[in-house]
Amino acid sequence: MRIEDLTAMQLDALREVGSIGAGHAATALSQLVDHRIDLEVPQLELLPIGSVPDVFGGPETLVGAVYDRMLGDLGGGLLFVAPRDSSLALVDLMRNRPVGTAKSFGTEEEAMITHVASILAASYVASIARLADLNILPAKPSFALDMAGAILEVVTAEIGMRAENALLLRTRFFSEETTVDAYMFFLPDPDSLDVLLGRLGVV
Amino acid sequence: MHSDTSYLDNVDRHVTVGVGELATATYPEILTTQALGSCIGIALWDPSRQAGGMAHVMLPSSEDTRMVGKMDRFATHAVPALIALLEAEGSSHRRLVAKIAGGAAMFKGDSMLAGIGSRNIDEVHRQLHLAGVLLRAEDTGGDHARTIELHLDTGILVVRSYQYGIRDI
Repeated sequence: MRIEDLTAMQLDALREVGSIGAGHAATALSQLVDHRIDLEVPQLELLPIGSVPDVFGGPETLVGAVYDRMLGDLGGGLLFVAPRDSSLALVDLMRNRPVGTAKSFGTEEEAMITHVASILAASYVASIARLADLNILPAKPSFALDMAGAILEVVTAEIGMRAENALLLRTRFFSEETTVDAYMFFLPDPDSLDVLLGRLGVV
Repeated sequence: MHSDTSYLDNVDRHVTVGVGELATATYPEILTTQALGSCIGIALWDPSRQAGGMAHVMLPSSEDTRMVGKMDRFATHAVPALIALLEAEGSSHRRLVAKIAGGAAMFKGDSMLAGIGSRNIDEVHRQLHLAGVLLRAEDTGGDHARTIELHLDTGILVVRSYQYGIRDI
């Protein structure tokens, strides 16, 4: 199916999938860092692939990111993205130290963020799997710290073969008390989108 | 050391090439494209005209050959299109000098994604060879993002990255 042809009902169903997935992920994150983490209503956007690099306020914004490929009934992946300072703040919360302690990314910080993101991804896909009665497992996560535009190419690389637009389902996680501001992108490949909508009964 | 090529001094002269797009320009303009990951920035320079062109390609070729619409994101399409554009402006492909950057594996842990960068590099090499354009320099591969600027008076391609700072090729 062409993503441009999705009906209003199908878009609503995907937004709902996003809320449920992100809701579970936010709960997991709150428990993990022992701080209240809130989430915004998931945003579902249809963007030309050329403008995807701008979603983080400029292609050169420095961000920490973790990509988890999905295995099983759905293909595609989940992408966790947080601006550099937010990534470091998450590391501090995990270590139970004041935010601002971690100053730069080393092997340990990288491992910590990868760990947090993969737990988020796992709880996100687990809730979708339950909802749609699908078998989905996240594969081994992979970390990068670099320009947002280059990171977001994972969103468009697989889609770009066949389409000029990308369907972006993203949720913002934030904490009132600290400077945590992170995003989770749910990126099923175009074939998997059909599978998911079929299972949800909105074909 | 890079006083004449520093980024902020000459922003007003920049012609920015977006993802999946291509453009040409003439000195004193500077062609630039940002945040190349697995994508490749192709810079073509014509010394005699102090002019050149740049493309930001995302993928080697289209999976679906019947696809219509904008095709400049594919190397198989963008390289010949950029050369044709420069020739229409008065360049000869024999005079053109190519420099390329990008083709990284941003998430090296994921083998499916890691392959895209190297396939892009191969296809760009092949397209330049087919067109008979000399590839003079490249900064490709690795696992970091790059931003490039082509200075049309000198043909210098400035490559910037968070990991390695500024490099001229």
